[in-house]
Amino acid sequence: MDKPGIKRRDFVKMGLLTAAASALGTGVMKPVGLWAATPKIKGPIKVGYQAVLSGTLAGYGEFHKMGALMALEEINAAGGIAGNKLEMEVRDSTLAAPAALQNVRYFVDSWEADLLAGVDSSGQALAVAPVVGQLDRILMVTHAATEKLTEDEVFKKGIKQVFRICTPTYQDGNAAAFVAKDLPATTWATINPKYEYGFTTWNMFQDTLGKLKPGVKFVADSWAPFGTTDFRPHINTIMDAKPEGLYSVVWAGELITMMKQAQQAGMFDKIKYVLLPVGAAMDVLEGLGPEMPDNIWISGRYFFLYPDSPQNKEWVANFRKRWNHYPAYVSETAYSTMFAFKKAIEACGSKETAQLITALEGMELDSPAGKRVFRKEDHQAMYDVPWGLTATDPKYPFKIMGKQVVIPAKECFNRPPFEGDASKPPFKS
Amino acid sequence: MKSNWKYIIVALMLLVLIGIGYFSSRFVLYLAMKIMILSIFAMGYNILFGRTGLLSFGHAAFYATGAYGVALCSMHVHTHPLVGIMVGIAAAAFLALIIGFFCVRHTEIYFAMLTLAFGMMVFSLMWNLRDITGGDDGLSGIMRGSVSLGFLKISITKDSQFYFLVLFFFALSMLLVHRIYQSPFGLVLAGIRENHVRTEFAGLGVKRYRLAAFVVSGAFAGLAGALGLLLESNVTPFAAHWSHSANPVLVSLMGGLQTFSGPIVGSIVFVLLREFIERFTHNWMLWFGVILLAIILGFRGGIVGSTTQLVKRLSKVS
Amino acid sequence: MMESLVHVCLAGISAGMFIWLVASGLTLIFGVLRVLNFAHGSFYMLGAYLCYTCLKFLGIDFWLGVIVGPLAVCVVGYVMERYLLRQVYDLELPYQLLLTFAVVLIADELVKIIWGAGSIGSPTVPGLAGSVQIVGRNFPVYNIFIMVIGPLVALALWALLEKSWWGRIIRAAASDREMAAAIGVRVPSLYTGVFVFGAWLSALGGALAVPYVGLLTTGMGEAVIINAFVVVVIGGLGSLKGAFLGALFIGLLNSFGTRFIPALDMFLTFILMGVVLLWRPQGFFAGVDR
Repeated sequence: MDKPGIKRRDFVKMGLLTAAASALGTGVMKPVGLWAATPKIKGPIKVGYQAVLSGTLAGYGEFHKMGALMALEEINAAGGIAGNKLEMEVRDSTLAAPAALQNVRYFVDSWEADLLAGVDSSGQALAVAPVVGQLDRILMVTHAATEKLTEDEVFKKGIKQVFRICTPTYQDGNAAAFVAKDLPATTWATINPKYEYGFTTWNMFQDTLGKLKPGVKFVADSWAPFGTTDFRPHINTIMDAKPEGLYSVVWAGELITMMKQAQQAGMFDKIKYVLLPVGAAMDVLEGLGPEMPDNIWISGRYFFLYPDSPQNKEWVANFRKRWNHYPAYVSETAYSTMFAFKKAIEACGSKETAQLITALEGMELDSPAGKRVFRKEDHQAMYDVPWGLTATDPKYPFKIMGKQVVIPAKECFNRPPFEGDASKPPFKS
Repeated sequence: MKSNWKYIIVALMLLVLIGIGYFSSRFVLYLAMKIMILSIFAMGYNILFGRTGLLSFGHAAFYATGAYGVALCSMHVHTHPLVGIMVGIAAAAFLALIIGFFCVRHTEIYFAMLTLAFGMMVFSLMWNLRDITGGDDGLSGIMRGSVSLGFLKISITKDSQFYFLVLFFFALSMLLVHRIYQSPFGLVLAGIRENHVRTEFAGLGVKRYRLAAFVVSGAFAGLAGALGLLLESNVTPFAAHWSHSANPVLVSLMGGLQTFSGPIVGSIVFVLLREFIERFTHNWMLWFGVILLAIILGFRGGIVGSTTQLVKRLSKVS
Repeated sequence: MMESLVHVCLAGISAGMFIWLVASGLTLIFGVLRVLNFAHGSFYMLGAYLCYTCLKFLGIDFWLGVIVGPLAVCVVGYVMERYLLRQVYDLELPYQLLLTFAVVLIADELVKIIWGAGSIGSPTVPGLAGSVQIVGRNFPVYNIFIMVIGPLVALALWALLEKSWWGRIIRAAASDREMAAAIGVRVPSLYTGVFVFGAWLSALGGALAVPYVGLLTTGMGEAVIINAFVVVVIGGLGSLKGAFLGALFIGLLNSFGTRFIPALDMFLTFILMGVVLLWRPQGFFAGVDR
């Protein structure tokens, strides 16, 4: 302890100095990040892609990567985008908002990405959207489904840089209600994830089904926290309520666990009508294999047997050849994202964000999942994904979608201005 | 002689940080801000951990409280960042007072487990009070208002402007923590760590001092959370999760527990290491784990502690 | 109502027995080594994956997998204690925590590299696959099996610790390390032994969890370890009887909580943990212990 007085005073001085410099710094700032618009596309086109590559959902990241990489290879083999090479870097989003934000900043400010894509969770998408607006880069969301992203961030707040290529919660909530209205069940219950995705979809399902089929009752809801490995208490809650139908957006590995445990408890002997909006995910179908019961209603963001078009068939065949896997829905959205970028850049002859926004708005894209149209108002891709009943097919080691019903996106997706009942299905016209 | 070096190092560091503020690219600014915010979190935390010898697994709750405090304040009350930061710190300190009141009854592993339990209760509340906190989606898109000081208005919308506000609070925190360590209060805390029975005999209420340390460190966590929110314009309940509480522990241990600069060095290593590894491999967790092991086994007592000892030994030899 | 209550109880007890299998090793290691082992969940995960591998690729019977998998994890446990943990016993407690945390990161990534990132649906166990009807609702045979295994493991542990020579030495070392060393116990070897044994218990839990959870994922250990921590704390750190009763209690609490007061779930568990620590830090069931 030598001369504490001097020490302290020096320290105070230093602090003041810094404070002064701080004030100065904010006063005289030079503009950063402004550059003159380039008329011709120069250099490679760089896409920063982020998906979850660690933790329990790491399998999804791998499927993202497969789709994106395959598109990249195809595009570059065919001469790139407007003669420019397409480059991609993939980063782990860890499913947490802070990591997603750091990735976005790394991509744009350090790696100098021209375009961004990916993002798995709703929380991440909502966190990233405003920042993407500030950084002024296109972000194509390939997995996160929250309707708030397109309704609030894009439509209401005007963050025009954000687009979404996958189906949103409308497919899980509204479309499911259209399926449910034609089933004999009049009482419904749910085991749903105890987070926003679960709450939103169940509300949407109840709202829409209530309008389509007045008189249906919703008799029980049980909420499973993220990471649930034991669904038996939830299964008990549902079985006590004795509903005729079960609705559940539990997804990925947790859905596998839930289905196995529900099967063991004999739930499907008592509840005949089961709707799983994300049950058609490949990881679920392959994970359950023959243990997935027949005649369960499933859907997803894409299913590899729909549409029955040459383009889709060829793509699935190529995908199997390249990766020895059936494509998961995130593979398709990742793959189509790259081609959406290609089409938009070639249409406007630029990789500038402002021009790309104009090019992407209203753009039509022929993709394996069928024809997509990016709705101008909220930047949501409009395309149809079927609902179908699980069925056994000797050609596949897992259950596939047998009987299919298509609820057109036009009829079940909410419409601008996203206010009041007129914006929600059913629509008059 | 020895003490002069310290000031030269601190002065150099501040100079470098000011330089970064003026001349760096946006991403470097961003990383520097992340490091400074984590440093504030860890420096404050180390008052409790390194100084007083109490391991808390609940400080993420105070970080999150600071963040939600600013967010809610700017959404519902006022967008002035300084008002928000004050609200965030006050809320975090108040919560720390309540939680600390119960926790300081224990020490060691029981204290750690108790803070874990309380921290997770806060996490669970933030997750479930959806109308206020936005549930697991959290609150996002919180824009930074201008710092209005009556006579002049300073915009901090751009990262390059906000950087200097973070730098200001970072320097201020360093100053405060340094003063706390030099103060009689800080010396009592060190006494508690070494021998709490003797400190008790000296007529000092050990629990009250522990509580004070808990609240002060909670307030710093709140400041870090508030700045973190303003940087990212977003907060989710995971900010309160126990795994986030592990960050300041990790950083303090990596840098060195019993040292002033340990948490800062640890923060730099923590942020840059992860960023660096990610550029080479997607299996960043593997390499992060391996390097962590190497630091624990190789630099026993943290990077700063070991390096200082090495320097001492070398200077003795020469 | 009868049907409901019985099944809520059954679900709670079987879940509790699962937590117990993991918590037993955790509390044993803490009781003797005074190390809170975050990597305990990794042993659980490795046990599950190794058992699955035996089942799937080597074509070995599930029961052989249950034996082989955890034994392989013992080797991991040995290496970890002997070459890593032993280096930091003289450092402060947080360094040990951090070391086990680093092991968690490494183990998760290695599992991802070796077995792939996707979650794996596990095959069912022949012989224990079906369900039986209990008061009008199906209950899996496998869960009944777990409800038998849990108490058996508890009984075996009790016999080992209370009745055997080895158990007496362990108890001696747990209560006073210096004294045990003074009377000629080789404490380092004992530590290694206890750690390996704890790892084996956790891996056994993991292997048995394969058909129960029906799924293998990287990071599956983290989901379990927090519950195990809570149980160990509620039972009184280091107390086996406490952990057994604590696991049963937490299992039932979760089951009844989910069914009857679903709003609280996690909050309830951590309130309980806080109350126990404040009110009876020696453990909720400390009175029962001796």
